[in-house]
Amino acid sequence: MTRTQDISIETVSFRSVINGSVVATLKIAFEVSDTGTGSCLEEFQDLKYNREGIGTEKWDGLLSIKTTVALKYVFPFLTPLMPCTQRSNASFERISLSADCLLFSLLFSSPLTESAHLLVLQMLILMIPCVAAELVIKQEDSPGLLCENIFLPNECNPLNFSSSNVERLKSGLEEYVLKHGNILNNKCDSCFCSRKQLKISSGVACSMESQRGPGLIVETVIAISELAESPCFRSCRNKTEVLHFKDFSPCSIPVASLSALTSIDWRSYGLTLRGGVDQVDHALIEWESLPPDLRIDMAIHCYRKCKHQPDRHLIKKAVKLALDDFKGKYTGFLLSAHAVKVCSYAPDLASSIAGIILSSNDSEFQSKCASLLGLMQPQEIGRQTVEDRIKGMIITVIETNDRKPEKIKEAAPLLFEDDHPQDPEPTPYSEDYEGGDDVFSFSE
Amino acid sequence: MEGIHSRICSTDLLRKIKEFTLSILDDLSEGRSPLIFIQRFRIYCTNFDSNCSCSCNKPNGHEILTFQKESHVHRIDVLLRVLLIVHQLLQENKHASKRDIYYMHPLVFSDQTVVDRAINDICILLQCSRHNLNVVSVGNGLVMGWLRFFEAGRKFDCINSPNTAHTIPVLVEDVKDLVSVAHYILIVEKESVFQRLANDKFCSKNRCIVITGRGYPDVSTRRFLRLLVDKLCLPVYCLVDCDPYGFDILATYRFGSMQMAYDAKFLRVPQIQWLGAFPSDSENYNLPQRFLLPLTMEDKRRTEAMLQRCYLHQEVPRWRSELESMLQRGTKFEIEALSVHSLSFLSEVYIPWKIQEVTSMCHI
Repeated sequence: MTRTQDISIETVSFRSVINGSVVATLKIAFEVSDTGTGSCLEEFQDLKYNREGIGTEKWDGLLSIKTTVALKYVFPFLTPLMPCTQRSNASFERISLSADCLLFSLLFSSPLTESAHLLVLQMLILMIPCVAAELVIKQEDSPGLLCENIFLPNECNPLNFSSSNVERLKSGLEEYVLKHGNILNNKCDSCFCSRKQLKISSGVACSMESQRGPGLIVETVIAISELAESPCFRSCRNKTEVLHFKDFSPCSIPVASLSALTSIDWRSYGLTLRGGVDQVDHALIEWESLPPDLRIDMAIHCYRKCKHQPDRHLIKKAVKLALDDFKGKYTGFLLSAHAVKVCSYAPDLASSIAGIILSSNDSEFQSKCASLLGLMQPQEIGRQTVEDRIKGMIITVIETNDRKPEKIKEAAPLLFEDDHPQDPEPTPYSEDYEGGDDVFSFSE
Repeated sequence: MEGIHSRICSTDLLRKIKEFTLSILDDLSEGRSPLIFIQRFRIYCTNFDSNCSCSCNKPNGHEILTFQKESHVHRIDVLLRVLLIVHQLLQENKHASKRDIYYMHPLVFSDQTVVDRAINDICILLQCSRHNLNVVSVGNGLVMGWLRFFEAGRKFDCINSPNTAHTIPVLVEDVKDLVSVAHYILIVEKESVFQRLANDKFCSKNRCIVITGRGYPDVSTRRFLRLLVDKLCLPVYCLVDCDPYGFDILATYRFGSMQMAYDAKFLRVPQIQWLGAFPSDSENYNLPQRFLLPLTMEDKRRTEAMLQRCYLHQEVPRWRSELESMLQRGTKFEIEALSVHSLSFLSEVYIPWKIQEVTSMCHI
């Protein structure tokens, strides 16, 4: 056990040695809380390890952690790398788990593969508060370190321990996007001159515990980046990477989630889905005609106390809540296809109304109109200004209305009607015939 | 709703247009979607078993146009464009036809009926008639017979040449000093019949006024007819082909049209009597079988639909019986078919006999 200069972080490291050569070194840092269990460094002196069940020829040793502090955040950290034999040549393997004990073993025979690397980077999205990890792999036959500091502890996490999981997820996805998938150490300044270019929303859907099973919580975070001039992103901005987490671990997207995503009415948010594909470590959604300066990222996290199956309806609800949250917070974004069409009429509507105002020979009427528009006398400021103001007001009303829930949007088309006049008759010829010949002939 | 005898001045309409505009701006400034209420009118329904209110000239509900539906926004766009044009016509005291208005924005309007609907909407909103908006139709009706009048200073002396056709004035308000010695007014459906009567010098032998709308009557024709009826208090007879279209034209004169339902009160002529042709006339006047054409599927469908109109049950049950008879026989014929006996059979025999028959029935 080594101590770092920061006394609040305890670092445990052990190495994997094969045939006397150090193959990999793993350091695990444990954040120590200020009060309560785990607040004293001495507590960690009781950490034990045993070698039972593992061939000692490959291991320095095993680490057994006995702690009651944020156990759930420690254990899931290991699961992304399980099972690991097919994925990479680096493996974590959980030996046993109890309420207060975690035993795991590490085996490295070569550097972590890219997929395992990505999984670890995705783990950071969850912003698990009490775990930070530094992974260093060193190979004997390579000069220097092959991979060094693949990821670093998030020392700048602004969230405190009491932040909710969805807040952590939001923060984590924000960092993930700003750092181009957590590849960079800091925000990419080339793409993001200002943090305002990145807009975040979230939605949480819960199901109650019942006799069928424990309740399920689904959190969704959506990030939309405005990237007018982005040198880093490839041309495939019309695709969205949907990261899926289950019980605080990255996982491949279940069928229920993919089904939920493809069943959403994306047109009510101004988006058209082309298709969804299940990749190895994430799902990829492709859009039709996404504006070229926009990029969408999404993270879905399902968790429950006990084992569960993903709930398609709950996932769909959480995603929709996040989309509605986005619409509510950011004016003009995710306008439904219908609202976009209605907005296209705004210039013509404004032109007609402005025409009535400006062509009137009633100056008092013009003054009243100017007052309602918040302008000076229309004749003094010009037609274009009047039109633009009216157009802006119309668009604002349309956008505001588009954010309202569906049940409020519908207006009664008819009032005080006894019955709808049934007119089974074909449309009669207009009585205002402008021509001169007889209309009808019986030539049939 | 104002009629032909009271004039809504342009000032009133301009005031209403300004109030309408201010209400829209007020809603927008408050962040509200403007709501445009347009009353619905109808001249008939299909609930002929109950006491409906179709003849009461009252609105039958509202339509509410909003910015929330794309179809509504398009209709509002058209309405505002036409309203701007009307606003300019009223301010400058100029007139334009509906067709003129259509050609101002043909790509947006796409069809004349779109303009017609917008004009109707504006009439309902401003509670006026079409002519009050300075929107005029090209006159399509013809008149001849024993009457004389002035129109915008021009004299129409039909009495001197009662068999000469004159175009019915477009603006009824311009008709002054109407004088007539006619005994009745005869409406004929088609121009061909009108010309037949003119060639036969019908008005020389019969002291009457003859009018045709040349098919479905336009608003000018209907308003002129209404003026004659109100001023002269003469019986009115209507002669149409014995087919569904002829009957529908008869019903338009008598009860008004659904399109102009909001103004039906001032356009319909309740005094009209159906002179012919009835289905039974084919037998009564020995019409050869070859002139009886079969009703097409469309004819039958239209006839069945017209039979559902409430006023046929409530106000003119005899007309309904004749229409049912047409459907049962499954045949139709034109008025001109009666000329099989002689070219002047219509003007010398059929019409005088029919009028005498109707007159006798009234006296009984």
